[in-house]
Amino acid sequence: MLHLPKPGVVGRHINDFLPSHLIPLFKQKLLEAFEGKSVTFDVAVQFRGAVPKVLSVSKVPLIEDGTITGVHVVCRDISELTASHQLIAQQAHTLNTLFESITDAVFLMDNEWRITYLNSEVERLLKLKEEQILGKGYWEVFPETGSEVFYEHFVHAKRVGHAVKFEAYSIPREMWLEVKAYPSSEGLSVYFSDVTPRKETEARQERLAQDLYQHNQDLQEFNYLVSHNLRGPLANALGLARMLHPHGSEQEQVQEHLILSLQQLDGLLHELTTILSVRETHGVVGNRTVVPLGQVLAQVQHRVRESLCQSGGTLTVLMPDELTVYGTHTQLFNIFRNLLVNAIAYREPQRPLRVVVTGQAIPTGGVHVTVADNGSGFDRARAGADVFKLYKRFHAEPSGRGLGLYFVQAYVTALGGHITVQSQPGIGTEFSLYLP
Amino acid sequence: MRTFLVDDDFISVFLTEKLFQREGFGEGLHSFESPEKALDSVLHAISQESVPDVILLDLNMPVLNGWDFLSALQPYEAQLTGRCFIYILTSSLAPADQVRSEEFPLVIGFIHKPLDGIQVQAIHAYVAEHQG
Repeated sequence: MLHLPKPGVVGRHINDFLPSHLIPLFKQKLLEAFEGKSVTFDVAVQFRGAVPKVLSVSKVPLIEDGTITGVHVVCRDISELTASHQLIAQQAHTLNTLFESITDAVFLMDNEWRITYLNSEVERLLKLKEEQILGKGYWEVFPETGSEVFYEHFVHAKRVGHAVKFEAYSIPREMWLEVKAYPSSEGLSVYFSDVTPRKETEARQERLAQDLYQHNQDLQEFNYLVSHNLRGPLANALGLARMLHPHGSEQEQVQEHLILSLQQLDGLLHELTTILSVRETHGVVGNRTVVPLGQVLAQVQHRVRESLCQSGGTLTVLMPDELTVYGTHTQLFNIFRNLLVNAIAYREPQRPLRVVVTGQAIPTGGVHVTVADNGSGFDRARAGADVFKLYKRFHAEPSGRGLGLYFVQAYVTALGGHITVQSQPGIGTEFSLYLP
Repeated sequence: MRTFLVDDDFISVFLTEKLFQREGFGEGLHSFESPEKALDSVLHAISQESVPDVILLDLNMPVLNGWDFLSALQPYEAQLTGRCFIYILTSSLAPADQVRSEEFPLVIGFIHKPLDGIQVQAIHAYVAEHQG
Protein backbone atom coordinates (compact mmCIF):
# COMPACT_ATOMS: atom_id res chain seq x y z
CA MET A 1 0.00 0.00 0.00
CA LEU A 2 2.82 2.34 0.79
CA HIS A 3 4.58 1.29 -2.36
CA LEU A 4 7.69 0.38 -0.27
CA PRO A 5 9.43 -2.87 0.74
CA LYS A 6 8.92 -4.15 4.28
CA PRO A 7 12.42 -3.27 5.57
CA GLY A 8 11.94 0.33 4.55
CA VAL A 9 8.74 0.59 6.63
CA VAL A 10 9.25 -1.26 9.89
CA GLY A 11 10.53 0.92 12.67
CA ARG A 12 9.66 4.21 11.06
CA HIS A 13 7.07 6.78 12.12
CA ILE A 14 3.77 6.89 10.23
CA ASN A 15 4.28 10.59 9.59
CA ASP A 16 7.25 9.71 7.37
CA PHE A 17 4.84 8.29 4.83
CA LEU A 18 1.79 10.54 5.08
CA PRO A 19 1.41 13.63 2.91
CA SER A 20 2.00 16.56 5.22
CA HIS A 21 -1.62 17.90 5.04
CA LEU A 22 -2.98 14.62 6.44
CA ILE A 23 -0.61 14.44 9.44
CA PRO A 24 -2.90 16.52 11.77
CA LEU A 25 -5.93 14.34 10.90
CA PHE A 26 -4.14 11.08 11.64
CA LYS A 27 -2.68 12.55 14.82
CA GLN A 28 -6.10 13.71 16.04
CA LYS A 29 -7.68 10.31 15.35
CA LEU A 30 -4.81 8.63 17.16
CA LEU A 31 -5.41 10.83 20.20
CA GLU A 32 -9.10 9.91 20.10
CA ALA A 33 -8.12 6.21 20.06
CA PHE A 34 -5.85 6.75 23.04
CA GLU A 35 -8.84 8.14 24.89
CA GLY A 36 -10.23 4.64 24.74
CA LYS A 37 -12.66 4.43 21.82
CA SER A 38 -12.33 2.87 18.41
CA VAL A 39 -12.40 5.32 15.52
CA THR A 40 -13.01 4.67 11.84
CA PHE A 41 -12.69 7.18 9.08
CA ASP A 42 -12.38 7.28 5.29
CA VAL A 43 -9.69 9.35 3.73
CA ALA A 44 -8.29 9.93 0.27
CA VAL A 45 -4.53 9.66 0.38
CA GLN A 46 -1.64 9.48 -2.06
CA PHE A 47 1.55 7.91 -0.73
CA ARG A 48 4.77 8.90 -2.41
CA GLY A 49 5.18 7.01 -5.67
CA ALA A 50 1.81 5.24 -5.29
CA VAL A 51 -1.55 5.77 -7.06
CA PRO A 52 -4.18 7.82 -5.17
CA LYS A 53 -6.34 5.67 -2.97
CA VAL A 54 -9.32 5.91 -0.66
CA LEU A 55 -8.63 4.22 2.63
CA SER A 56 -10.90 3.15 5.41
CA VAL A 57 -8.83 3.53 8.52
CA SER A 58 -9.73 1.92 11.86
CA LYS A 59 -7.80 2.79 15.01
CA VAL A 60 -8.54 0.44 17.90
CA PRO A 61 -7.01 1.06 21.35
CA LEU A 62 -5.13 -1.86 22.90
CA ILE A 63 -6.14 -2.07 26.53
CA GLU A 64 -4.00 -4.04 28.99
CA ASP A 65 -5.05 -4.14 32.65
CA GLY A 66 -7.22 -1.07 32.28
CA THR A 67 -4.57 1.09 30.67
CA ILE A 68 -4.15 1.88 27.02
CA THR A 69 -0.85 0.54 25.93
CA GLY A 70 -1.08 1.17 22.26
CA VAL A 71 -3.31 1.61 19.21
CA HIS A 72 -3.92 -0.98 16.56
CA VAL A 73 -4.34 0.56 13.10
CA VAL A 74 -5.98 -1.21 10.17
CA CYS A 75 -6.11 0.38 6.73
CA ARG A 76 -8.41 -1.01 4.08
CA ASP A 77 -8.18 0.07 0.47
CA ILE A 78 -11.75 1.02 -0.47
CA SER A 79 -10.82 2.91 -3.63
CA GLU A 80 -12.83 0.66 -5.99
CA LEU A 81 -15.83 0.53 -3.73
CA THR A 82 -15.81 4.30 -3.41
CA ALA A 83 -15.40 4.74 -7.15
CA SER A 84 -18.39 2.53 -7.96
CA HIS A 85 -20.53 4.31 -5.37
CA GLN A 86 -19.58 7.58 -6.96
CA LEU A 87 -20.38 6.24 -10.41
CA ILE A 88 -23.81 5.13 -9.31
CA ALA A 89 -24.53 8.52 -7.76
CA GLN A 90 -23.26 10.25 -10.87
CA GLN A 91 -25.36 8.08 -13.16
CA ALA A 92 -28.43 8.66 -11.08
CA HIS A 93 -27.77 12.36 -11.28
CA THR A 94 -27.20 12.22 -15.03
CA LEU A 95 -30.39 10.23 -15.51
CA ASN A 96 -32.33 12.69 -13.42
CA THR A 97 -30.89 15.61 -15.33
CA LEU A 98 -31.80 13.83 -18.55
CA PHE A 99 -35.38 13.18 -17.53
CA GLU A 100 -35.75 16.72 -16.28
CA SER A 101 -34.32 18.16 -19.48
CA ILE A 102 -36.84 16.23 -21.59
CA THR A 103 -39.72 18.59 -22.27
CA ASP A 104 -42.09 15.63 -22.14
CA ALA A 105 -43.46 14.50 -18.84
CA VAL A 106 -41.83 11.19 -17.92
CA PHE A 107 -42.72 8.58 -15.36
CA LEU A 108 -41.61 5.02 -14.85
CA MET A 109 -43.80 2.21 -13.62
CA ASP A 110 -42.62 -1.14 -12.33
CA ASN A 111 -44.25 -4.45 -13.20
CA GLU A 112 -46.79 -3.96 -10.40
CA TRP A 113 -47.92 -0.68 -12.07
CA ARG A 114 -46.35 1.27 -9.25
CA ILE A 115 -44.82 4.61 -10.17
CA THR A 116 -41.12 4.56 -9.31
CA TYR A 117 -39.94 7.75 -10.93
CA LEU A 118 -41.32 10.99 -12.33
CA ASN A 119 -39.94 14.28 -13.55
CA SER A 120 -41.25 17.68 -12.60
CA GLU A 121 -43.19 18.07 -15.85
CA VAL A 122 -45.46 15.26 -14.66
CA GLU A 123 -46.33 17.29 -11.57
CA ARG A 124 -46.96 20.35 -13.67
CA LEU A 125 -49.17 18.66 -16.30
CA LEU A 126 -51.13 16.46 -13.91
CA LYS A 127 -51.34 19.24 -11.29
CA LEU A 128 -50.25 16.73 -8.64
CA LYS A 129 -47.41 16.80 -6.11
CA GLU A 130 -44.59 14.26 -6.27
CA GLU A 131 -45.74 12.65 -3.00
CA GLN A 132 -49.20 12.08 -4.48
CA ILE A 133 -47.63 10.04 -7.29
CA LEU A 134 -44.34 8.45 -6.28
CA GLY A 135 -44.70 4.86 -5.03
CA LYS A 136 -48.44 4.90 -5.75
CA GLY A 137 -50.23 2.46 -8.05
CA TYR A 138 -51.58 3.54 -11.41
CA TRP A 139 -55.21 3.51 -10.28
CA GLU A 140 -54.42 5.47 -7.14
CA VAL A 141 -52.93 8.27 -9.20
CA PHE A 142 -55.48 8.08 -12.02
CA PRO A 143 -58.76 6.97 -10.46
CA GLU A 144 -60.95 8.98 -12.82
CA THR A 145 -63.01 7.69 -15.78
CA GLY A 146 -61.14 7.75 -19.04
CA SER A 147 -57.95 6.45 -17.43
CA GLU A 148 -58.77 2.97 -18.71
CA VAL A 149 -58.15 4.19 -22.27
CA PHE A 150 -54.55 4.97 -21.38
CA TYR A 151 -54.28 1.80 -19.26
CA GLU A 152 -55.36 -0.41 -22.19
CA HIS A 153 -52.61 1.04 -24.37
CA PHE A 154 -50.05 0.44 -21.59
CA VAL A 155 -51.20 -3.15 -21.11
CA HIS A 156 -50.97 -3.66 -24.84
CA ALA A 157 -47.40 -2.28 -24.89
CA LYS A 158 -46.41 -4.64 -22.10
CA ARG A 159 -48.03 -7.62 -23.78
CA VAL A 160 -46.56 -7.14 -27.25
CA GLY A 161 -43.24 -5.86 -25.92
CA HIS A 162 -43.19 -2.94 -28.37
CA ALA A 163 -43.34 0.78 -27.86
CA VAL A 164 -46.79 2.31 -28.36
CA LYS A 165 -47.68 5.84 -29.34
CA PHE A 166 -51.17 7.27 -29.10
CA GLU A 167 -53.19 10.39 -28.54
CA ALA A 168 -56.03 10.43 -26.06
CA TYR A 169 -58.17 12.97 -24.29
CA SER A 170 -57.88 13.36 -20.56
CA ILE A 171 -61.35 14.22 -19.34
CA PRO A 172 -60.49 15.59 -15.87
CA ARG A 173 -57.65 17.74 -17.25
CA GLU A 174 -59.51 18.78 -20.42
CA MET A 175 -56.36 18.12 -22.32
CA TRP A 176 -55.24 16.16 -25.35
CA LEU A 177 -52.19 14.09 -24.50
CA GLU A 178 -49.72 12.51 -26.85
CA VAL A 179 -48.34 9.44 -25.10
CA LYS A 180 -45.41 7.17 -25.85
CA ALA A 181 -44.82 4.11 -23.71
CA TYR A 182 -41.73 1.92 -23.86
CA PRO A 183 -41.94 -1.48 -22.18
CA SER A 184 -38.91 -3.14 -20.58
CA SER A 185 -38.30 -6.11 -18.29
CA GLU A 186 -38.54 -3.73 -15.33
CA GLY A 187 -41.81 -2.15 -16.28
CA LEU A 188 -42.89 0.69 -18.51
CA SER A 189 -41.52 4.16 -19.18
CA VAL A 190 -44.20 6.63 -20.16
CA TYR A 191 -43.57 9.92 -21.94
CA PHE A 192 -46.40 12.34 -22.52
CA SER A 193 -47.02 15.91 -23.54
CA ASP A 194 -49.95 18.31 -23.88
CA VAL A 195 -50.92 18.52 -27.55
CA THR A 196 -54.21 20.37 -27.00
CA PRO A 197 -53.20 23.46 -29.04
CA ARG A 198 -52.16 21.28 -31.98
CA LYS A 199 -55.34 19.23 -31.77
CA GLU A 200 -57.41 22.41 -31.71
CA THR A 201 -55.59 23.74 -34.76
CA GLU A 202 -56.11 20.44 -36.52
CA ALA A 203 -59.80 20.52 -35.69
CA ARG A 204 -60.05 24.08 -37.01
CA GLN A 205 -58.26 23.11 -40.21
CA GLU A 206 -60.51 20.13 -40.59
CA ARG A 207 -63.58 22.36 -40.28
CA LEU A 208 -62.07 24.80 -42.75
CA ALA A 209 -61.35 22.02 -45.22
CA GLN A 210 -64.89 20.75 -44.86
CA ASP A 211 -66.27 24.23 -45.41
CA LEU A 212 -64.11 24.62 -48.46
CA TYR A 213 -65.18 21.26 -49.77
CA GLN A 214 -68.82 22.23 -49.25
CA HIS A 215 -68.30 25.54 -51.04
CA ASN A 216 -66.66 23.73 -53.89
CA GLN A 217 -69.56 21.30 -54.08
CA ASP A 218 -71.99 24.23 -54.10
CA LEU A 219 -70.01 25.89 -56.85
CA GLN A 220 -70.05 22.76 -58.94
CA GLU A 221 -73.78 22.41 -58.42
CA PHE A 222 -74.22 26.04 -59.35
CA ASN A 223 -72.11 25.45 -62.43
CA TYR A 224 -74.28 22.48 -63.34
CA LEU A 225 -77.39 24.57 -62.76
CA VAL A 226 -76.10 27.30 -65.04
CA SER A 227 -74.84 25.06 -67.81
CA HIS A 228 -77.88 22.76 -67.87
CA ASN A 229 -81.00 24.12 -66.23
CA LEU A 230 -80.54 27.82 -66.96
CA ARG A 231 -79.27 27.30 -70.46
CA GLY A 232 -82.16 25.04 -71.53
CA PRO A 233 -84.95 27.65 -71.55
CA LEU A 234 -82.61 30.25 -72.98
CA ALA A 235 -81.66 27.99 -75.89
CA ASN A 236 -85.36 27.42 -76.52
CA ALA A 237 -86.09 31.15 -76.45
CA LEU A 238 -83.26 31.83 -78.88
CA GLY A 239 -84.47 29.11 -81.23
CA LEU A 240 -88.05 30.35 -81.07
CA ALA A 241 -87.04 33.98 -81.64
CA ARG A 242 -85.19 32.98 -84.78
CA MET A 243 -88.24 31.14 -86.02
CA LEU A 244 -90.53 34.15 -85.92
CA HIS A 245 -91.80 35.60 -89.19
CA PRO A 246 -92.06 39.29 -88.50
CA HIS A 247 -94.35 41.47 -90.59
CA GLY A 248 -93.20 45.00 -91.18
CA SER A 249 -89.93 46.74 -90.36
CA GLU A 250 -90.90 47.49 -86.75
CA GLN A 251 -91.50 43.83 -85.96
CA GLU A 252 -88.33 42.91 -87.78
CA GLN A 253 -86.48 45.28 -85.51
CA VAL A 254 -88.20 43.76 -82.48
CA GLN A 255 -87.09 40.30 -83.55
CA GLU A 256 -83.56 41.51 -84.21
CA HIS A 257 -83.30 43.08 -80.77
CA LEU A 258 -84.90 40.09 -79.12
CA ILE A 259 -82.36 37.76 -80.72
CA LEU A 260 -79.50 40.11 -79.83
CA SER A 261 -80.62 40.30 -76.19
CA LEU A 262 -80.89 36.54 -75.97
CA GLN A 263 -77.49 36.14 -77.59
CA GLN A 264 -75.96 38.53 -75.07
CA LEU A 265 -77.48 36.52 -72.26
CA ASP A 266 -76.20 33.34 -73.86
CA GLY A 267 -72.71 34.86 -74.14
CA LEU A 268 -72.77 35.63 -70.45
CA LEU A 269 -73.77 32.07 -69.63
CA HIS A 270 -70.92 30.78 -71.77
CA GLU A 271 -68.47 32.98 -69.90
CA LEU A 272 -69.87 32.03 -66.54
CA THR A 273 -69.52 28.34 -67.34
CA THR A 274 -65.96 28.86 -68.53
CA ILE A 275 -65.06 30.80 -65.38
CA LEU A 276 -66.53 28.17 -63.13
CA SER A 277 -64.86 25.32 -64.96
CA VAL A 278 -61.36 26.84 -65.15
CA ARG A 279 -60.31 25.19 -61.93
CA GLU A 280 -62.45 22.14 -62.38
CA THR A 281 -61.04 21.15 -65.75
CA HIS A 282 -57.56 22.57 -65.51
CA GLY A 283 -56.86 22.61 -61.82
CA VAL A 284 -56.30 19.72 -59.54
CA VAL A 285 -57.78 17.11 -61.83
CA GLY A 286 -55.98 18.18 -65.01
CA ASN A 287 -53.34 15.86 -66.38
CA ARG A 288 -50.19 17.79 -65.72
CA THR A 289 -47.01 17.10 -67.57
CA VAL A 290 -43.70 18.80 -68.15
CA VAL A 291 -44.49 21.37 -70.84
CA PRO A 292 -41.73 23.09 -72.84
CA LEU A 293 -42.47 26.80 -72.52
CA GLY A 294 -40.79 27.75 -75.80
CA GLN A 295 -43.11 25.40 -77.66
CA VAL A 296 -46.18 26.97 -76.05
CA LEU A 297 -45.01 30.46 -77.01
CA ALA A 298 -44.32 29.39 -80.59
CA GLN A 299 -47.91 28.16 -80.83
CA VAL A 300 -49.31 31.32 -79.26
CA GLN A 301 -47.19 33.39 -81.67
CA HIS A 302 -48.63 31.38 -84.54
CA ARG A 303 -52.15 31.99 -83.27
CA VAL A 304 -51.79 35.77 -82.96
CA ARG A 305 -49.49 36.30 -85.95
CA GLU A 306 -52.25 37.77 -88.12
CA SER A 307 -53.40 40.44 -85.71
CA LEU A 308 -49.79 41.12 -84.74
CA CYS A 309 -48.88 41.56 -88.38
CA GLN A 310 -51.86 43.86 -89.03
CA SER A 311 -50.87 46.10 -86.15
CA GLY A 312 -47.27 46.21 -87.42
CA GLY A 313 -46.00 44.84 -84.16
CA THR A 314 -43.20 42.46 -83.33
CA LEU A 315 -42.85 39.77 -80.71
CA THR A 316 -39.47 38.75 -79.35
CA VAL A 317 -39.12 35.64 -77.23
CA LEU A 318 -35.96 35.34 -75.15
CA MET A 319 -35.77 32.10 -73.21
CA PRO A 320 -33.68 28.95 -73.16
CA ASP A 321 -35.10 26.07 -75.22
CA GLU A 322 -34.95 23.68 -72.28
CA LEU A 323 -37.19 25.83 -70.08
CA THR A 324 -40.19 23.79 -68.88
CA VAL A 325 -43.20 24.25 -66.62
CA TYR A 326 -45.20 21.56 -64.84
CA GLY A 327 -48.79 22.07 -65.92
CA THR A 328 -51.15 21.48 -68.79
CA HIS A 329 -50.56 22.75 -72.28
CA THR A 330 -54.03 24.35 -72.38
CA GLN A 331 -53.43 26.36 -69.22
CA LEU A 332 -50.12 27.74 -70.44
CA PHE A 333 -51.42 28.41 -73.92
CA ASN A 334 -54.37 30.38 -72.52
CA ILE A 335 -52.17 32.41 -70.17
CA PHE A 336 -49.87 33.65 -72.92
CA ARG A 337 -52.57 33.98 -75.57
CA ASN A 338 -54.58 36.25 -73.28
CA LEU A 339 -51.53 38.35 -72.42
CA LEU A 340 -50.56 38.77 -76.08
CA VAL A 341 -54.11 39.48 -77.22
CA ASN A 342 -54.21 42.20 -74.56
CA ALA A 343 -50.87 43.64 -75.66
CA ILE A 344 -52.13 43.86 -79.24
CA ALA A 345 -55.53 45.28 -78.27
CA TYR A 346 -54.08 47.96 -76.02
CA ARG A 347 -51.12 49.02 -78.14
CA GLU A 348 -50.14 52.66 -78.44
CA PRO A 349 -51.30 53.84 -81.89
CA GLN A 350 -48.45 56.40 -82.11
CA ARG A 351 -45.70 53.76 -82.35
CA PRO A 352 -45.25 50.18 -83.58
CA LEU A 353 -45.93 47.58 -80.91
CA ARG A 354 -42.95 45.77 -79.37
CA VAL A 355 -43.61 42.81 -77.12
CA VAL A 356 -40.72 41.07 -75.37
CA VAL A 357 -41.19 37.78 -73.54
CA THR A 358 -38.33 36.57 -71.36
CA GLY A 359 -38.05 33.41 -69.38
CA GLN A 360 -35.48 31.94 -67.06
CA ALA A 361 -35.25 29.15 -64.53
CA ILE A 362 -35.05 30.17 -60.87
CA PRO A 363 -32.18 28.32 -59.13
CA THR A 364 -34.41 27.49 -56.17
CA GLY A 365 -37.06 25.98 -58.46
CA GLY A 366 -39.72 27.27 -60.81
CA VAL A 367 -39.63 29.64 -63.72
CA HIS A 368 -39.78 33.42 -63.94
CA VAL A 369 -41.40 34.84 -67.06
CA THR A 370 -41.95 38.47 -68.04
CA VAL A 371 -44.21 39.78 -70.78
CA ALA A 372 -43.43 43.44 -71.50
CA ASP A 373 -44.95 45.77 -74.10
CA ASN A 374 -44.60 49.40 -75.13
CA GLY A 375 -48.38 49.82 -75.38
CA SER A 376 -50.76 52.38 -73.94
CA GLY A 377 -50.47 51.04 -70.40
CA PHE A 378 -52.83 51.98 -67.58
CA ASP A 379 -52.76 53.72 -64.24
CA ARG A 380 -51.45 50.91 -62.05
CA ALA A 381 -52.05 52.79 -58.80
CA ARG A 382 -55.66 53.54 -59.68
CA ALA A 383 -56.36 49.96 -60.78
CA GLY A 384 -55.09 48.70 -57.43
CA ALA A 385 -56.11 45.20 -56.53
CA ASP A 386 -58.76 45.12 -59.27
CA VAL A 387 -56.37 44.32 -62.13
CA PHE A 388 -57.10 40.62 -62.18
CA LYS A 389 -60.70 40.85 -61.08
CA LEU A 390 -63.67 39.66 -63.07
CA TYR A 391 -65.38 42.21 -65.32
CA LYS A 392 -62.91 44.97 -64.45
CA ARG A 393 -61.76 47.07 -67.35
CA PHE A 394 -59.14 49.77 -67.57
CA HIS A 395 -59.58 50.99 -71.11
CA ALA A 396 -62.63 52.62 -72.64
CA GLU A 397 -61.54 51.53 -76.12
CA PRO A 398 -61.43 49.04 -77.67
CA SER A 399 -64.24 47.12 -76.04
CA GLY A 400 -63.35 44.13 -73.95
CA ARG A 401 -65.34 42.10 -71.50
CA GLY A 402 -62.91 42.33 -68.60
CA LEU A 403 -62.27 38.62 -68.62
CA GLY A 404 -58.77 38.20 -70.08
CA LEU A 405 -56.68 38.98 -67.02
CA TYR A 406 -59.15 37.22 -64.78
CA PHE A 407 -58.54 34.03 -66.76
CA VAL A 408 -54.79 34.61 -66.78
CA GLN A 409 -54.72 34.84 -63.03
CA ALA A 410 -57.09 31.91 -62.58
CA TYR A 411 -54.86 29.72 -64.76
CA VAL A 412 -51.65 30.89 -63.08
CA THR A 413 -53.16 30.22 -59.66
CA ALA A 414 -54.40 26.81 -60.77
CA LEU A 415 -50.80 26.04 -61.78
CA GLY A 416 -49.65 27.02 -58.29
CA GLY A 417 -47.91 30.20 -59.46
CA HIS A 418 -48.55 33.91 -59.10
CA ILE A 419 -48.58 36.98 -61.30
CA THR A 420 -47.91 40.68 -60.79
CA VAL A 421 -48.11 43.64 -63.14
CA GLN A 422 -46.47 47.03 -63.53
CA SER A 423 -47.80 49.63 -65.92
CA GLN A 424 -47.47 53.28 -66.81
CA PRO A 425 -49.92 55.15 -69.05
CA GLY A 426 -48.37 55.89 -72.44
CA ILE A 427 -45.24 53.87 -71.73
CA GLY A 428 -46.18 50.22 -71.44
CA THR A 429 -47.06 47.26 -69.30
CA GLU A 430 -44.98 44.45 -67.85
CA PHE A 431 -46.38 41.24 -66.43
CA SER A 432 -44.17 39.18 -64.20
CA LEU A 433 -45.11 35.53 -63.71
CA TYR A 434 -43.76 32.95 -61.36
CA LEU A 435 -44.61 29.40 -62.43
CA PRO A 436 -43.62 26.34 -60.40
CA MET B 1 -84.44 10.58 -93.24
CA ARG B 2 -86.01 8.64 -90.35
CA THR B 3 -85.17 10.48 -87.18
CA PHE B 4 -85.92 9.72 -83.51
CA LEU B 5 -85.90 12.78 -81.28
CA VAL B 6 -85.42 11.96 -77.59
CA ASP B 7 -86.05 15.07 -75.50
CA ASP B 8 -88.18 15.61 -72.39
CA ASP B 9 -88.46 19.37 -72.94
CA PHE B 10 -91.68 19.94 -74.89
CA ILE B 11 -90.70 23.43 -76.10
CA SER B 12 -87.44 22.10 -77.45
CA VAL B 13 -89.38 19.28 -79.13
CA PHE B 14 -91.76 21.80 -80.67
CA LEU B 15 -88.81 23.83 -81.97
CA THR B 16 -87.05 20.81 -83.45
CA GLU B 17 -90.25 19.59 -85.09
CA LYS B 18 -90.89 23.00 -86.70
CA LEU B 19 -87.31 23.16 -87.97
CA PHE B 20 -87.51 19.68 -89.48
CA GLN B 21 -90.80 20.62 -91.17
CA ARG B 22 -89.25 23.77 -92.61
CA GLU B 23 -86.25 21.90 -93.93
CA GLY B 24 -88.51 19.27 -95.47
CA PHE B 25 -87.84 16.37 -93.11
CA GLY B 26 -91.01 16.65 -90.99
CA GLU B 27 -92.42 13.37 -92.22
CA GLY B 28 -89.57 11.23 -90.95
CA LEU B 29 -89.36 12.71 -87.45
CA HIS B 30 -90.65 10.78 -84.41
CA SER B 31 -90.49 12.60 -81.12
CA PHE B 32 -90.25 10.91 -77.74
CA GLU B 33 -90.63 12.93 -74.57
CA SER B 34 -90.08 9.75 -72.59
CA PRO B 35 -86.57 8.33 -73.00
CA GLU B 36 -87.75 4.89 -71.84
CA LYS B 37 -90.36 4.70 -74.60
CA ALA B 38 -87.74 5.90 -77.08
CA LEU B 39 -85.36 3.15 -75.97
CA ASP B 40 -88.09 0.52 -76.31
CA SER B 41 -88.80 1.75 -79.84
CA VAL B 42 -85.11 1.69 -80.80
CA LEU B 43 -84.67 -1.84 -79.42
CA HIS B 44 -87.79 -2.94 -81.26
CA ALA B 45 -86.49 -1.34 -84.46
CA ILE B 46 -83.18 -3.20 -84.01
CA SER B 47 -85.05 -6.50 -83.72
CA GLN B 48 -87.00 -5.63 -86.88
CA GLU B 49 -83.77 -4.56 -88.61
CA SER B 50 -85.27 -1.19 -89.43
CA VAL B 51 -83.21 1.17 -87.29
CA PRO B 52 -83.73 4.95 -87.63
CA ASP B 53 -81.14 6.88 -89.64
CA VAL B 54 -80.64 9.47 -86.92
CA ILE B 55 -81.21 9.72 -83.17
CA LEU B 56 -81.14 13.21 -81.66
CA LEU B 57 -80.51 12.62 -77.97
CA ASP B 58 -80.90 15.10 -75.12
CA LEU B 59 -78.65 14.50 -72.12
CA ASN B 60 -80.42 16.04 -69.18
CA MET B 61 -83.55 13.90 -68.70
CA PRO B 62 -85.17 12.37 -65.64
CA VAL B 63 -85.12 8.63 -64.84
CA LEU B 64 -83.18 7.62 -67.95
CA ASN B 65 -80.72 10.31 -69.00
CA GLY B 66 -78.79 10.52 -72.24
CA TRP B 67 -75.80 8.63 -70.86
CA ASP B 68 -78.00 5.78 -69.62
CA PHE B 69 -79.62 5.69 -73.03
CA LEU B 70 -76.23 5.40 -74.76
CA SER B 71 -75.07 2.70 -72.35
CA ALA B 72 -78.21 0.70 -73.04
CA LEU B 73 -77.46 0.82 -76.76
CA GLN B 74 -73.83 -0.24 -76.44
CA PRO B 75 -74.54 -3.99 -76.77
CA TYR B 76 -76.13 -3.27 -80.18
CA GLU B 77 -73.21 -1.29 -81.52
CA ALA B 78 -72.63 -3.74 -84.37
CA GLN B 79 -76.24 -3.49 -85.59
CA LEU B 80 -76.20 0.32 -85.37
CA THR B 81 -72.77 1.38 -86.64
CA GLY B 82 -72.93 2.85 -90.15
CA ARG B 83 -76.73 2.71 -90.16
CA CYS B 84 -77.91 4.78 -87.26
CA PHE B 85 -76.13 8.01 -86.38
CA ILE B 86 -76.53 9.48 -82.93
CA TYR B 87 -76.23 13.21 -82.28
CA ILE B 88 -76.22 14.66 -78.80
CA LEU B 89 -78.60 17.63 -78.77
CA THR B 90 -78.17 19.43 -75.49
CA SER B 91 -78.41 22.83 -73.89
CA SER B 92 -75.42 21.91 -71.72
CA LEU B 93 -72.36 24.10 -71.95
CA ALA B 94 -70.21 21.90 -69.73
CA PRO B 95 -67.04 20.94 -71.62
CA ALA B 96 -67.01 17.69 -69.63
CA ASP B 97 -70.20 16.54 -71.39
CA GLN B 98 -68.64 16.84 -74.82
CA VAL B 99 -65.51 14.98 -73.65
CA ARG B 100 -67.64 12.21 -72.18
CA SER B 101 -69.70 11.81 -75.36
CA GLU B 102 -66.49 10.93 -77.20
CA GLU B 103 -66.38 7.71 -75.18
CA PHE B 104 -69.34 6.44 -77.20
CA PRO B 105 -68.40 5.52 -80.79
CA LEU B 106 -72.05 5.64 -81.85
CA VAL B 107 -72.14 9.38 -81.10
CA ILE B 108 -70.95 11.20 -84.19
CA GLY B 109 -71.90 14.75 -83.30
CA PHE B 110 -72.46 17.12 -80.38
CA ILE B 111 -74.92 19.94 -81.01
CA HIS B 112 -75.55 22.79 -78.57
CA LYS B 113 -79.14 23.94 -78.53
CA PRO B 114 -80.79 25.73 -80.17
CA LEU B 115 -80.77 23.64 -83.30
CA ASP B 116 -81.01 25.58 -86.54
CA GLY B 117 -81.84 24.86 -90.18
CA ILE B 118 -78.20 24.75 -91.27
CA GLN B 119 -77.45 22.03 -88.72
CA VAL B 120 -80.47 20.00 -89.85
CA GLN B 121 -79.22 20.14 -93.45
CA ALA B 122 -75.71 19.20 -92.28
CA ILE B 123 -77.07 16.12 -90.50
CA HIS B 124 -78.94 15.11 -93.64
CA ALA B 125 -75.83 15.57 -95.78
CA TYR B 126 -73.73 13.48 -93.38
CA VAL B 127 -76.24 10.63 -93.32
CA ALA B 128 -76.57 10.64 -97.11
CA GLU B 129 -72.80 10.44 -97.45
CA HIS B 130 -72.00 7.86 -94.80
CA GLN B 131 -74.89 5.47 -94.96
CA GLY B 132 -74.07 2.32 -96.93
